[in-house]
Amino acid sequence: MATRTAFDEALKVLQRDLLRMGSLVETAIQDSVQALVQGNIGLAEKVIAGDDVIDQLQIQLEDCCMKLIVTQQPMAKDLRRIGAAWHIAIDLERMADIAVNIAKAVRRMAKESLAKPLIDIPRMADLCQQMVRTGLDAYIREDEQLAWGLSELDDRLDALYKQVFRELVAVMLENPQTVAPVAHLLFIARFLERIGDHTTNIGESVIYLVTGEHTDLNE
Amino acid sequence: MEQEKIVATGLNLFYGEFQALKNINLSIRGNQVTALIGPSGCGKSTFLRCLNRMNDIIPSCRVTGRITFDGIDINQPEIDVVALRKRVGMVFQAPNPFPKTIYDNVAFAPKLHGLKDKRKLDEVVETALRQAALWDEVKDRLHKPALGLSGGQQQRLCISRALAIQPEVLLMDEPTSALDPISTLKIEELIRELKEMYTIVIVTHNMQQAARISDNTAFFLVGEVVEVGTTDVLFTRPQDQRTEDYITGRFG
Repeated sequence: MATRTAFDEALKVLQRDLLRMGSLVETAIQDSVQALVQGNIGLAEKVIAGDDVIDQLQIQLEDCCMKLIVTQQPMAKDLRRIGAAWHIAIDLERMADIAVNIAKAVRRMAKESLAKPLIDIPRMADLCQQMVRTGLDAYIREDEQLAWGLSELDDRLDALYKQVFRELVAVMLENPQTVAPVAHLLFIARFLERIGDHTTNIGESVIYLVTGEHTDLNE
Repeated sequence: MEQEKIVATGLNLFYGEFQALKNINLSIRGNQVTALIGPSGCGKSTFLRCLNRMNDIIPSCRVTGRITFDGIDINQPEIDVVALRKRVGMVFQAPNPFPKTIYDNVAFAPKLHGLKDKRKLDEVVETALRQAALWDEVKDRLHKPALGLSGGQQQRLCISRALAIQPEVLLMDEPTSALDPISTLKIEELIRELKEMYTIVIVTHNMQQAARISDNTAFFLVGEVVEVGTTDVLFTRPQDQRTEDYITGRFG
């Protein structure tokens, strides 16, 4: 079996950068919701400031993908590996932007007290982190089954979102004074639900990488 | 259009004791470009030469199985090989113009096939040179030696020489491997245009070229066709692991 040392090494660097980006995104999601729970504006500011690093990584990954296409002219699975990495980097970058949206909402809510104790929104955030991790594991291991599993995790996230939505609407109906802060919470729940959709995109990229087939994990 | 122009069925070819092609089943569709890829010695050029019986001139060569051209078995003894090669033209790896003028290179085959009328010959030469996208570059020097042209121009001259007798199929055996990138692009553009009128089969070691210009690709390995399919699918999601290994450069 002939080897392509330079190419294989470049693919490893690509994977490493993608994992690094993924762990930064996980932290951003965690911190943004943590900031919400604790009313910690400093932590929210940290999430907002940290977005630049993730943006830079995405650009770096995109450059790396383009360079590999030009210099190595990958075919078949090699090409799909690079296409998937490119896509995943875009999804991760979008997730980081959403974490920033959450952090900004936390900043705006600073002076308001929380309408009710937060239980399900932190659960949604935990699930989102698990989904990001699962998506990246599936990419690194090229594990189709793991990627399919994201569909079920996303169903759980959607169910949590619906529950949060119902509860928050009830709170607003009960006490119209809470409408402004609860509207922010509704948005935050919605943001987390969107993060879940980006992780199913990652799953779809992985399935395309492994099988060459386009699928929909978010039906 | 897009019918099966050439069909090989159970084709075997031996050079003496050595079997160079093993049970090849492959269809070439009309007005499409079919690329044959594979490592050196895999049989792709040998297969190409079967299509106009160029292997006949190799003494120890023996062919079994069938190749039909528009439904007619071309290996039957009563087939007129000259007539076959008039319908199936060929272009080789290195440009090989005759040491004659540009005009005489293109007019050579039509003359051989009996075209005498000077005015008609002029027409044929101009049409063939235009089809090969060479006319504008050589129209003022038609009676200068062909060997004075650049390599890329010589190769396009060889293509127009093949087109001058209006074949139906054009076989190209690594037609750009001896050319610079600009000449290569010109030939690739030309192939795109020519498939409107001709069926093209091209052997190439340049996989990116195969991916760029062909509609269908067949992957040969040690005398067998491992995989054949539309070019899009073969290069993005091949079905056979050996194809995957070869096109991703992990073969050997």
